[in-house]
Amino acid sequence: MDGLYNPENDKTSFWKKNSKAIPGRPSPKKDIKSGTRSKLTGSTSFQEFQASVSDAWAVDDDEFCIISGVDNTHISKKVSESAALNVLNNHRTSSDQSMNIQTTNKGNENVRSNRIPGRPQQLRNTNNQDEDCESKLERFESLLGGTPTIAELCKLSWSGIPVKVRATTWRLLSGYLPVNQERRQGMLERKRQDYWNLVKQYYDTERDEAYQDTYHQIHIDVPRMNPSIPLFQQSLVQQMFERILFIWAIRHPASGYVQGINDLVTPFFVVFLQEAISDNQPFELFMVELLSKEQRDIIEADSFWCLSKFLDGIQDNYVFAQLGIQRKVNQLKELIQRVDNTLHRHLTHHNVDYLQFSFRWLNNLLTRELPLRCTIRLWDTYLAENDSFALFQLYVCAAFLLQWRKKLLGETDFQGLMLLLQNLPTQNWTGSDVGLLVAEAYHLKVMFADAPNHLQNNQGDR
Amino acid sequence: MNTRDDDYDYLFKVVLIGDSGVGKSNLLARFTRNEFNLESKSTIGVEFATRSIQVDGKTIKAQIWDTAGQERYRAITAAYYRGAVGALLVYDIAKHLTYENVERWLRELRDHADQNIVIMLVGNKSDLRHLRAVLTEEARGFAERNGLSFIETSALDSTNVDTAFQNILTEIYRIVSQKQIRDPPEGDTIRPQNVEPIDVKPTMNTDSVRKQCCQ
Repeated sequence: MDGLYNPENDKTSFWKKNSKAIPGRPSPKKDIKSGTRSKLTGSTSFQEFQASVSDAWAVDDDEFCIISGVDNTHISKKVSESAALNVLNNHRTSSDQSMNIQTTNKGNENVRSNRIPGRPQQLRNTNNQDEDCESKLERFESLLGGTPTIAELCKLSWSGIPVKVRATTWRLLSGYLPVNQERRQGMLERKRQDYWNLVKQYYDTERDEAYQDTYHQIHIDVPRMNPSIPLFQQSLVQQMFERILFIWAIRHPASGYVQGINDLVTPFFVVFLQEAISDNQPFELFMVELLSKEQRDIIEADSFWCLSKFLDGIQDNYVFAQLGIQRKVNQLKELIQRVDNTLHRHLTHHNVDYLQFSFRWLNNLLTRELPLRCTIRLWDTYLAENDSFALFQLYVCAAFLLQWRKKLLGETDFQGLMLLLQNLPTQNWTGSDVGLLVAEAYHLKVMFADAPNHLQNNQGDR
Repeated sequence: MNTRDDDYDYLFKVVLIGDSGVGKSNLLARFTRNEFNLESKSTIGVEFATRSIQVDGKTIKAQIWDTAGQERYRAITAAYYRGAVGALLVYDIAKHLTYENVERWLRELRDHADQNIVIMLVGNKSDLRHLRAVLTEEARGFAERNGLSFIETSALDSTNVDTAFQNILTEIYRIVSQKQIRDPPEGDTIRPQNVEPIDVKPTMNTDSVRKQCCQ
């Protein structure tokens, strides 16, 4: 399999950038198996461990360590790794345990605090969620008030961003808004003006004959984007989408507009819209004509620039023959074969081809598989992955497939499998489910992205 | 194997192709689930559905692959022509351009599908009488000249949708069952030399049919 796994990719990956010596993470450089306990305890304090893996946990979880409190607590890499895995597993099996609302946790998201050993399990959507959000919001506000580094922002955002600061944070994470406070306003004004100049130049004037196909395709796709959400049926909104997509397409001739990219504008659009409308008003029913033209123009221009920055990292998904996606489909197959051979054999035994179901997952970044509110939460993590999103996307899809393992194994023929895979029951998913999904994706990535041989082992078998 | 309502005598793979927005997904939804959405989402890649019908007392299961219409997707969707024994080539009677592109789609089939594939030209959205841009007779003539069957349908008001699928499946069934009488299972098919042979001859053996069609 050519291009199946490229270790080069990992050199630039987010995880590696942040990793120094990380206990609890299999590192290709350190032979964990040969590491003796005494050797490890000599070099690794619990605080170091905690600092090094904090990217795997919600930032607020660090009180977990304050509780344990003892300086110089030594912990072996093996122990810490298995503890993390146990917690993940526990969460999977114990979501229905009775809850005990001890508000010792000011965790940002219930799903994450659930993973902390020794802490009472909580049900979803408990009423201390507000409190959680408040705590996290404060952290965001203090960070955004200064000049945060992108790394700090990624770390805090990875596990979800409060609505109130989401728009600004997304602008920063996309690389659209500079982190430096003083430069922000000037840059925004300039970029927004740039966008409107592009519209004037390419959209408002007589459109070039060469772009007619592009325009036509966008024009027939936009009205059927989110048929069940009234917001998207408004012609003002549809016009905004058409302009964003058209300008993006002509500025990216290598790919041009590809069906599905329209869905990728949606999260940005909704988040910038939410910023403009008053708190707690459901965006689904909002009439955009209630906003001033100035407000609408900001939403549109910012959606355009953030989309552009975001897609820059995954452009090979949309070039001719969609090679980026084809490569990832193959990688997904290899990964599942390695992680869950039973499931892989079940799928292949019934002639299910990975391309048949995962193409849409990869092309639309799961927007078609999840409710919109979950997509937005998922985007928090996507954007926090920053440069390494292209790789992380693969692991999210793998985690998503594994999520349905039991149901899939229960299907006994091609038809049942395909129909399930095309209509996975995510209607009732919440942010917590997305939190768990990305945690699982992270776990897979740590296990496999840094250990290329894990993927290569099976290649000779086929 | 068949734990569902899944006993069938024949399994035929059929693909739905044609320009974006002509109503392929709604034809499929109408035929397999009796549903219609005025604004259904665009198809990304391919989508799959199935329905069984009766012909001559035999159960024929149609495995239908709906494909994305955008040209960009053809590299992906062409893979799905493989093993297909039927194709519904759909255009929109109210959009002349989608009819003009039928020739391109035919070339696409010639390049990627089995040479014996049964093709039906389908003029969809026949409910849009006041917007008609493609004359029925013109399309019928084109179909005859190119050896295609022809029908006009409306997924919106259900007109002819079942008939269209019924006709193409029956046509495939006739060919397959006559072939079985005429040719032994290993019978040679005459192919032009420049065409790579693809093994898609359905036989009475449902197991082998299933394998071929699910690929």
